[in-house]
Amino acid sequence: MHGKQPLAQPANVVFLYDGSFEGFLCCVYHTVYSRQIPLAIYTPENTQPTLFEERSITTDSAQAQKVRASIPAKISPAALEMVETVFLSCLAEKELALLKFLLLGYQQGSKILHMLGHPDVAPVLKAEQHLQGERHLLLGFVRFSDYGGVLAATITPKNFILPFLASHFTARFSQEDFLIYDKTHKAALIYQNGQTRLAPLEEIEFPDVSETETEYRKLWKQFYHTIAIEARYNPKCRITHIPKRYWQNMTELAELL
Amino acid sequence: MDMMQKLTILADSAKYDAACTSSGGDRAGGVGLGSTLAPGCCHTFSADGRCVSLLKVLMTNDCIYDCKYCVNRRSSEVPRTTFTPEELAELTIQFYRRNYIEGLFLSSGVLQTPDYTMERMIEVLELLRYRHNFWGYIHAKTIPGSSPELVHRLGLLADRLSVNIELPSEDSLKQLAPSKTRQAILKPMGLIAGGLQQNKQELALYRNTPKFAVAGQATQMIIGATPETDFHIIRLAQGLYNRYELKRVFYSAYIPVVEDTLLPSVDTKPPLLREHRLYQADFLMRQYHFNADEILSEETPNFNPYLDPKCNWAIHNMHRFPVDVNRASQAELLRVPGVGPKSAQRIVAARRTGRLGMAELKRIGVVLKRAQYFIITADNPTGPKVGKETTIRALIDPKVYAAGVEQLSLFGPQGPGGLALPQAQDVKNATEAAEEAVLCMASNL
Ligand code: SF4
Repeated sequence: MHGKQPLAQPANVVFLYDGSFEGFLCCVYHTVYSRQIPLAIYTPENTQPTLFEERSITTDSAQAQKVRASIPAKISPAALEMVETVFLSCLAEKELALLKFLLLGYQQGSKILHMLGHPDVAPVLKAEQHLQGERHLLLGFVRFSDYGGVLAATITPKNFILPFLASHFTARFSQEDFLIYDKTHKAALIYQNGQTRLAPLEEIEFPDVSETETEYRKLWKQFYHTIAIEARYNPKCRITHIPKRYWQNMTELAELL
Repeated sequence: MDMMQKLTILADSAKYDAACTSSGGDRAGGVGLGSTLAPGCCHTFSADGRCVSLLKVLMTNDCIYDCKYCVNRRSSEVPRTTFTPEELAELTIQFYRRNYIEGLFLSSGVLQTPDYTMERMIEVLELLRYRHNFWGYIHAKTIPGSSPELVHRLGLLADRLSVNIELPSEDSLKQLAPSKTRQAILKPMGLIAGGLQQNKQELALYRNTPKFAVAGQATQMIIGATPETDFHIIRLAQGLYNRYELKRVFYSAYIPVVEDTLLPSVDTKPPLLREHRLYQADFLMRQYHFNADEILSEETPNFNPYLDPKCNWAIHNMHRFPVDVNRASQAELLRVPGVGPKSAQRIVAARRTGRLGMAELKRIGVVLKRAQYFIITADNPTGPKVGKETTIRALIDPKVYAAGVEQLSLFGPQGPGGLALPQAQDVKNATEAAEEAVLCMASNL
């Protein structure tokens, strides 16, 4: 395209890696050194039978570190941030998309983030926007319940946005203790005594709700139904703004499902 | 009366207010409870599809005035109630902690006197800010006729202040809200604008100056209860933006709540499509640098129901097109139907890395369905070659079909350029009406 040799060529091989970000960086390492772009990159949970050669990529911290350092150096710090973010997104075959994005980046340098119309760039930027969009929605859609002074909420987002919610909620509720449980990704954001941590969490059981909690839920639901203007009733418009998949965790909408 | 009943009454009587945004503030949070987000944040959407961001209630629905269009007017027979400041502050805090809301939108009927009412509102805000240490968003509506000193105090506590202009002209006010004069409405607006200005200077001089309504002021007016044209309304809005440093003007389609000979009958449908056109025009003025005179004129004083105002402008200014996406300025790109502020910016960034064709534009997010008739691209250097009818047909606002003939018939009989557009009663359905409108517009360009 720009007279530069491509770093690697498509090959009939499938990579298998452990699903970690480091593991993904090792897939990049392997691509560059074998000069082969795989047909697909799978994790043990997310694998499909293929007829092609499968190659297991072992996660090696030194290799991962090398690749990580190369991104800000050869492309830009913003590109590293983009890759880290999109790795947490729900983009289908995100590993392959990110690999192609990086290969193009190594050729083109920092201007890659401006190549908005390029087929290897546009899907990555779109995935990032989708993640940021879902994050923004959830800033509003998270519903806490008060369990004896601790606030707790469950969410079921498509993207793994928990790390991106932390700063907002810790600033807003700095004097509270709270927990946000991501049921999709089996993880929790926990804020206690002014400390934040992100921990894997298979399951969670909430205690019974108090009378006061029930009362506030009722008041909120009543408010919600009261402010809708009948003459403007428009359920279609509501759905476009607040897709049904968010309803299950929302006090005022769950029972309308 | 218990809390549930109070909340029901005081939310119900506040629901016709259009404003519910929580935008414009940007307070990081840290001490106490709460923070604000510059772009605002919707916490849910009600069954009418509107964003719910704030706990929007009246402090009281009691009122000494008798504005004809209002459910709370003195002569209306509805149950009356008033929140105590403590109740309302506690409710706000408990809703906020559960992340139901972004803050409070407090407005009120007039209890005893405007000043008395304002003092009670100030009490609520002081409780929130100083006892509960609450730093979430507060939008307060000033009471017409209250003293400047109280407006100032309210402004120091709230993120946004608003004064409702209520109706788009002095005549309409005289008829429907005799206790409110244009003067009484504009005066506090001027005071707030003055407060904002002065505060900016003080903030520059002294770091610890308390901030006055950081998110600025807003207003709203009722559309469709009175005979003003769309041109009159958007010119008024433009004037307000310029003179009073307004952040937002809200338009609220009139929903008949009372029978009165001076008002549209109670079975009138709210003019939602017209309200939508007003918001589009408003957006063009705020974000696209359009002037009210470019959007409408004395000769064409009302919106084209079939086309959004930007498309309508484009087909009447065909001599400005096509524009070359690889060379045109950002301002020129912004005028292309299907190109929004974001895609205009992206085009300018992306073309530095290579020339853009249709495929690239599509990936950038340009709506080619509309834009293709107005642009020159790398792979189409001569520009579009289609007839006017095809262009207009592609631009017809899909909302027209959703709105149906009922909404179309709410527009005046006059089409663009004073032409008679087909009226709802002449056609079977919105699709047919739209097709006739296409032919009619094309033949008159
Ligand atoms: S002053 Fe306000 S609440 Fe009172 S009647 Fe007029 S519009 Fe209604």
